[in-house]
Amino acid sequence: MNGNPSSRDSDVTDPDWVDDFLFTGNPADVCFRLPDPVDRGTLHRLVTEAQTHLRAAGLRPGGAVALRLPPSLAYVVHLLATWRSGAQAILLDHRLTDHEVDRALRRLTPQAVVAPVHTGGGALRVFVEVTEGVTPYGDRPAATAHAVIQLSSGSTGPAKVIGRTAADLVAEVRRYTQLDGVALPGERLILLPSMVHVLGLVGGLLYGLHAGVELVPPERLSGAAVLDAIGAADSPATVLGVPFHIGLLAATQLDRPLPMFARMITGGELVPASTVHSFTDRFGVPLGNMYGMTEVGVIGTDLHGQHRPGIIPAPGIDVRAVAGELRVSCPASPYLGHTDPSRWSEGWLHTRDAGTVDPDSGLVTIRGRLDSQVSVGGMKVDLTEVENTVAELPGVAAAVVVWDDGITAYVQPVGTLAEETLDQQLAERLASYKRPRTLRLLEQLPRTTTGKLVRSVETLRTAGTS
Amino acid sequence: MAGQPDLGRGDLVAMLAQLTHRSTDQPDRIGSMELAWLVHMVEQRYGRRLDLTDDQLAGIRTVDDALVIFQNALAAADG
Repeated sequence: MNGNPSSRDSDVTDPDWVDDFLFTGNPADVCFRLPDPVDRGTLHRLVTEAQTHLRAAGLRPGGAVALRLPPSLAYVVHLLATWRSGAQAILLDHRLTDHEVDRALRRLTPQAVVAPVHTGGGALRVFVEVTEGVTPYGDRPAATAHAVIQLSSGSTGPAKVIGRTAADLVAEVRRYTQLDGVALPGERLILLPSMVHVLGLVGGLLYGLHAGVELVPPERLSGAAVLDAIGAADSPATVLGVPFHIGLLAATQLDRPLPMFARMITGGELVPASTVHSFTDRFGVPLGNMYGMTEVGVIGTDLHGQHRPGIIPAPGIDVRAVAGELRVSCPASPYLGHTDPSRWSEGWLHTRDAGTVDPDSGLVTIRGRLDSQVSVGGMKVDLTEVENTVAELPGVAAAVVVWDDGITAYVQPVGTLAEETLDQQLAERLASYKRPRTLRLLEQLPRTTTGKLVRSVETLRTAGTS
Repeated sequence: MAGQPDLGRGDLVAMLAQLTHRSTDQPDRIGSMELAWLVHMVEQRYGRRLDLTDDQLAGIRTVDDALVIFQNALAAADG
């Protein structure tokens, strides 16, 4: 079924890893504060109940469950229940459109889909109150023996499909336990990134459960709510987020001392020096940095903010630069289906990040992307996926999508095409974070003398304003 | 000026400029991240929480949409 030689050797059908690795510790220990505490015993009971519902919907060991849930207790419970049922979890960002989800489901053939029937809790929630529904979908086994399947915006197809085994996830959590600067047992992790994506999933949820770190999502996405979450207890608090969250905190008035604030760690793109300074001046705590990818999880860190912009490879991870591109050790291909040798070959993941590895210190410095991938609030978006989607819309003759301080689409219509129609069609096909912030309709897109579309931001800007 | 709904479009554009580090030419369309930023900045400016629902936020697609919702929320809080 796929080109991944080792995927069948994984232990996805052995559900014991959930209890042995994630549910260790005292049942009375608090694992979540929402803000009401949820202890391990309660979580275990909810997971066991969810297993019954999944089974009733047709899930069998070796099957798959698609989770189309926002970050929520329902998501955590059904993720763990899926794994404890010996099944594969397909994680679908709740912002994906029906169009994107249908395409994924047809390919990945889950036996059940879990989606919200009702959500609540107010606007800008980090953790959503969800009443979920479990719907039978198919009766085929999972396409591979991976424990988790994630979609990443892709440059060629609709999306890259990435699989990781239970052993991969356990190994990544163990890497976190060896890092100096992560939240320690008994401490708190103020969790901002979505647990549907790798940073929040492994660095937050799985590490927290394994290590006995309390997971505390702020009541909502605002600087004041994050500070409230930090100040809600005396135990040391580490804030995990993406660069957007640094700006949010730096723009918040600090109205009380927060001696328990230990550190902030962000993944995603590099943070400008001015942002670092405004944050550290205000809070006086280290601002750590992490580098990782959905395919392998955490690759390197600078959790004390001492090596910026460099990072130290995580334990057990080898990084090398080949022809200016960073490659990361990754024994098996993480991709489902045919593996593009320009993405993974012979035990190395080709990151498509430009970078260098210092031969003396081993420090890795990332110097930007070598392809059309951009980061929107920590979410990776491949501009080629956006461009292909725009170009395939009815009424569009040609399109160029570029990054101009935001995703910007230049569109040449076939005849008359209202911007509103274009907006509406895109909203049906692309998740909100992938959609262009700026749309420019041009009678003729700029082309080279040989008729190729011009991609220069400057030229397009000029054409768009003339 | 705290407590007065004197919020204008130019204020929101200036707030967005702080996020994007662009001085001018802010895009009209705003996504969930920009929206969270604007809510945060308006709340910081007025020192109060905007009482908004998910449905209200979901209906905001542009800076102008956001302005109407924020002005109403501020006026409601004053009332």
